[in-house]
Amino acid sequence: MSGGEDIRASTGVDGLDRMLKGGLIPGRPYIVSGTTGSGKTTLGVQFLQQGVRQGERALMIAIDEPPAEIRENVRYLGWDVGKIRILDVHPTGKAYNKRVSVVEVAAQRAVGSLREARTDASTEAMKQASPELSVQSLQLMLRQELQEVEYSRLVLDSITTLKRMAGDEDTDDGIMSLIRFLSEANVTSMVITDLPDSTRVLPEIFLSRGEIRLHKQLASSKIERYVTIENIRGSPHDTQPRYFRLDKGGMTVDSRKKVSKSIIGMLQGLPAHTK
Amino acid sequence: MIREKVKTGVIGLDDMLDGGLLSSRPYVVSGAPGTGKTTLALQFLAEGARNGEQVLYVALDEPPNEVAMNAKRFSWSIDSVRVLDATPDIMSYDKTPVRDVSSERKVEFFRSVAEGIRKTSDKGPTDMSVNTLQELLKQEFAIRKYSRVVVDSLTSLRYFYIKTSEEYTTIQSFMRLFSDIGVTTIMTMHVPEVYRPDVESQFSRGEIRLHKWFDGRGLMRGVNIEKYRGSSHDERMRSFKIASDGIVVVEATSKKKSSKTKPSDGDSGVVEPAVEAGPPAVPTSARAQTLPAEPQGALPVQAEDEEPPPPPDMDLGGGAP
Repeated sequence: MSGGEDIRASTGVDGLDRMLKGGLIPGRPYIVSGTTGSGKTTLGVQFLQQGVRQGERALMIAIDEPPAEIRENVRYLGWDVGKIRILDVHPTGKAYNKRVSVVEVAAQRAVGSLREARTDASTEAMKQASPELSVQSLQLMLRQELQEVEYSRLVLDSITTLKRMAGDEDTDDGIMSLIRFLSEANVTSMVITDLPDSTRVLPEIFLSRGEIRLHKQLASSKIERYVTIENIRGSPHDTQPRYFRLDKGGMTVDSRKKVSKSIIGMLQGLPAHTK
Repeated sequence: MIREKVKTGVIGLDDMLDGGLLSSRPYVVSGAPGTGKTTLALQFLAEGARNGEQVLYVALDEPPNEVAMNAKRFSWSIDSVRVLDATPDIMSYDKTPVRDVSSERKVEFFRSVAEGIRKTSDKGPTDMSVNTLQELLKQEFAIRKYSRVVVDSLTSLRYFYIKTSEEYTTIQSFMRLFSDIGVTTIMTMHVPEVYRPDVESQFSRGEIRLHKWFDGRGLMRGVNIEKYRGSSHDERMRSFKIASDGIVVVEATSKKKSSKTKPSDGDSGVVEPAVEAGPPAVPTSARAQTLPAEPQGALPVQAEDEEPPPPPDMDLGGGAP
């Protein structure tokens, strides 16, 4: 992505763009972290949808959930997410057929649009393809896909699952390579991860160009959500946690309401500590 | 022999270091991602370049084109800083012969760095190891007499370049290279939010640690000198901000007394909110009121020789000489 510092990629969430002083710097990989149910996938879909709205090509790499489920889950948002393309690497079928080699996987990768995703069809597809997913095979699949179609936005949901499936051997190298791959691919990407283990340094975190963290807390019998910008390279950003809602309009950041001090106290003692 | 001190170029930090870093030695700047390590390191190089010194940035995390772009928002310039692009290639997962790296990677000025990212060669990636990097650096040091070098980051080097079982000795030998050459070096090191000391800290001659945490005023940043062999140094944590001048340690080392309610066991004036952080205007009185109410979150109530909240299980060993 070339030079003007002012060009930003909108996240599709107005309040979040404001926190980022305009949006994400295009062409770079970012981390979206948070606990289960904190809204990471919703933010990812919203980010892709924003691209589609601007006439860009957007790709969702679905590892955690099959495409049909993602589609169902965002249906309540009222968006037509049909134009988001999806690389289905959900591993449900994995157990049934382990004999597929890496090369074959690359040939078998199926990109559909979210509109086409149907429950039965995707289940069938998964049973047939059932790739042995690894960090390596994913990179190969992506390379092929990105050679054919020019995407400007990409979401990987999630790297946590990818790593879990890949096993331990040489994972760090693979992750490094994958992040490098995304950096060279000229796409603005969100890599979704569970809340990082705060006792470890993870390559995807320090190699990415920034981290948006979503927090969820049960406060007086009601779930409250906050977003923090942990780090954005090359850009000033909001240094306050902000409330956000997940409802009809997707993710909405409330820039005005102040997060109370007691809550911020809990945020810094991140839930990951107890994991 | 009294070594001369090298100014870091960071306002306030040189005071904390009693004048600067002892020349010709390797130092570590540690902190979680986003604490300001790269900014500090670049500032250190820009200061050297400003004095007409030869300075080198070894890029292992971020590609040079992005580093150059990110640094544009600062008032100082890294145009005359040389850069060695040692960022790892994409792995091809095909069998490709390991080639001579030195022909592939070259040192150039930041001002000549192309706008786009260096793409992994179609012919396949070059497999860098700590040995090839060390060779590259030796060659470069033979050509030019550098006075400042930054390795950003040591963590990448360790994760992706060191593939031997002798990690310990490899890091030691890598650090040795810089003291042998006699170049003042800053190596950045990513540490987890919950910190455990590691090999790198042990071999460095000093460690500057950067912190960030949230409190009622928003994102806070602090810096302390964890270790500094052969020199006296500030024992306290100071707050800093990242502004257009880069890193600015907000409070000078001269003692400043706070007029607010002051806990009996600490110096409540030490850490003030960074200027960029915090809500627009917190009335002094309001802050004074809330301070005693949240002792776990607010730094000012910490005793001066204690560490701040973010790394609760920090090892304080290896401090002052």
